[in-house]
Amino acid sequence: MINFLHGMQTYELFRFVGIRIYFGVIKKEAAQVVSVTPLSAPRHFVLTMKSAHLASHSRPGHFIAVAADTGSAILRKPFSVYTVNPDAGEISILFSVYGPTTTAMSRMLPGDSIDVLGPLGGRIFDPEPIKGIHHILVGGGYGVPPLNYLAKTIRASAPDAMVTVIIGARTANLLVGDDDLLDAGVEVIYCTDDGSAGVHGRVTDALLPLLKSDSRVYTCGPTPMMKAVGELSEAHGVDCQVSLETFMPCGVGICVGCVVKMRDGVFSRTCTDGPVYPGCEVAW
Amino acid sequence: MSTVNMTVQIGSLKMRNPVTTGSGTFGFGSETKDLVPLDRLGAVTVKATTRERRLGNPPQRIVETASGILNAIGLQNGGIDDYLANKAPYLRGFDCPIIVNVPGENPNDFAYVVERLTAAGAADAVELNLSCPNVSHGLDYATDPQLAASVVAAVRKVTSMPVIAKLSPNVTDIRVIAKACEDAGADALSMINTVVGTAIDPRKRKFRLANITGGLSGPAVKPIALLAVWRCYNTVKIPIIGMGGIACPLDAIEFMLAGATAVACGTGNFVDPTLSLEVIDGIEKYCVENGFADVNALIGAVTAA
Ligand SMILES: Cc1cc2nc3c(=O)[nH]c(=O)nc-3n(C[C@H](O)[C@H](O)[C@H](O)COP(=O)(O)OP(=O)(O)OC[C@H]3O[C@@H](n4cnc5c(N)ncnc54)[C@H](O)[C@@H]3O)c2cc1C
Ligand SMILES: Cc1cc2nc3c(=O)[nH]c(=O)nc-3n(C[C@H](O)[C@H](O)[C@H](O)COP(=O)(O)O)c2cc1C
Ligand code: FES
Repeated sequence: MINFLHGMQTYELFRFVGIRIYFGVIKKEAAQVVSVTPLSAPRHFVLTMKSAHLASHSRPGHFIAVAADTGSAILRKPFSVYTVNPDAGEISILFSVYGPTTTAMSRMLPGDSIDVLGPLGGRIFDPEPIKGIHHILVGGGYGVPPLNYLAKTIRASAPDAMVTVIIGARTANLLVGDDDLLDAGVEVIYCTDDGSAGVHGRVTDALLPLLKSDSRVYTCGPTPMMKAVGELSEAHGVDCQVSLETFMPCGVGICVGCVVKMRDGVFSRTCTDGPVYPGCEVAW
Repeated sequence: MSTVNMTVQIGSLKMRNPVTTGSGTFGFGSETKDLVPLDRLGAVTVKATTRERRLGNPPQRIVETASGILNAIGLQNGGIDDYLANKAPYLRGFDCPIIVNVPGENPNDFAYVVERLTAAGAADAVELNLSCPNVSHGLDYATDPQLAASVVAAVRKVTSMPVIAKLSPNVTDIRVIAKACEDAGADALSMINTVVGTAIDPRKRKFRLANITGGLSGPAVKPIALLAVWRCYNTVKIPIIGMGGIACPLDAIEFMLAGATAVACGTGNFVDPTLSLEVIDGIEKYCVENGFADVNALIGAVTAA
């Protein structure tokens, strides 16, 4: 399927195995910060910014790269698009404070400008809801924000779609990004390593009983988690889309430093050949 | 319309302005098409193209260090056949000279790739990567004047395109290599390639790069690069393309003052893919503000403190 929408300045090249090739037009801009809101999880924030461009071009699986004044750390850092509000021309990202970029972001004030590049990503999630399919989204850590966006997108385009989000964390107070999912009619299952909330155990413990021939799995989070989810799905003959969040020095395909090995032996650039891959393509 | 003459000359290669891209830091030109119209660049220097396709090194390939990055990509590229079939046609769609970076394991490899490029008219100049520290034997040619000269001479025989020898800073005296390349027929020099180094994760007690060693680039290497340019400028007569840590227009001006005829934006592209455009505009503005009618007047114009 080739569908060039030059008027909208986005172009969808083709789709296969349920994964879309969908490059938004990349733009660098100084967006205005609307708000930086702390979440109940310690050191977690949601940063909302004004960007008509990102709000109209971002899709679930896309990310943006932020450059902050971080002294000797020179690289931009990638963040998944978390929410999109095309009417207000706003998008938001959800982050936890890690190092210099996220520290700087946590201190930004409304009205400040934030240097962003995006939307980035080549292959992204295909949220096209097929009737009767049970969409199971499995996330942990900073894999939760893009899945939250994906879950809401699926529900918005097909209100009768069955969507379950499984969120894993070490402990209860690190669980993030869920309130709006319940509002959107998404089933949410928590898993904690220490049993302080939801299922006591790993996300795969919650996933296993749900896997049926009509399931489709999407996962994003720490690599060991995605590997386990990918392998479990594959063993049950279920399609699984994995979003690989490797270290991405440039985000636009020019450094070849973000690669992951594929089963055919080739090193693939996660920023532009991904970040979303069919789980069965990845040599974990 | 500005009145500054921005054109510079690298051998027979005419550049509309002194700014190109560092090989391996700008892909093959199409990746950032939304951001950088190629016909604004003085030239585009594309990623290394080898005789055979190369898969490259396993990850982790790049790590961030203070004011720079260490990389060990291992020359991942589709090989000369892929370049001619899939990359060159795109690049030729723009009014922008193409400089192809060519590594090799022996002089024949270099000559083979350059011959193919010449026959196909798929480049306007070649840059010999004498100094890629990330592949076995890759360093040899840049650290020994005779070996470096042998590669330049082998390539000189098979092409009339400008031949640019790219030098490594990982030597005792870069001037010796520079002179050897000039004598062997190089039309220009480019410098510096990355500085070898490594990084360790103390918590995991492991090397951070799968390849152990990598090449340091970015602002951290700029002082090393500037001195290399200044020393070679005073040693050879052929033009120099200066690079190493350029992150803003004034960095590029420093390179020109040290003796570079042209400059390349490298790692800075990762931070801001539009850096080269900013540098072009900034150089022109600097010339206007400081009363230079010709950008060439900047070359080597630094004086003692
Ligand atoms: C496609 C993509 C999407 C992302 N989305 C989000 C998001 O939505 N929300 C979010 O909070 N983060 C997200 N991340 C992760 C985020 O980009 C990194 O954590 C980033 O490095 C933070 O920048 P910093 O300057 O604050 O910290 P840095 O200085 O980069 O990191 C501080 C320390 O953490 C370590 N570190 C950094 N990244 C990683 C990693 N991936 N794995 C292990 N150690 C690491 C570094 O080695 C360093 O020691 C995403 C990453 C990718 C690739
Ligand atoms: C990720 C990466 C890949 C590179 N690949 C090549 C290459 O293929 N051939 C080459 O001659 N130089 C290569 N270089 C070196 C750059 O072209 C440049 O000489 C060096 O990085 C110094 O400039 P900078 O500090 O502006 O990056 C590479 C550098 C980086 C960071
Ligand atoms: S992050 Fe640079 S190529 Fe993917």
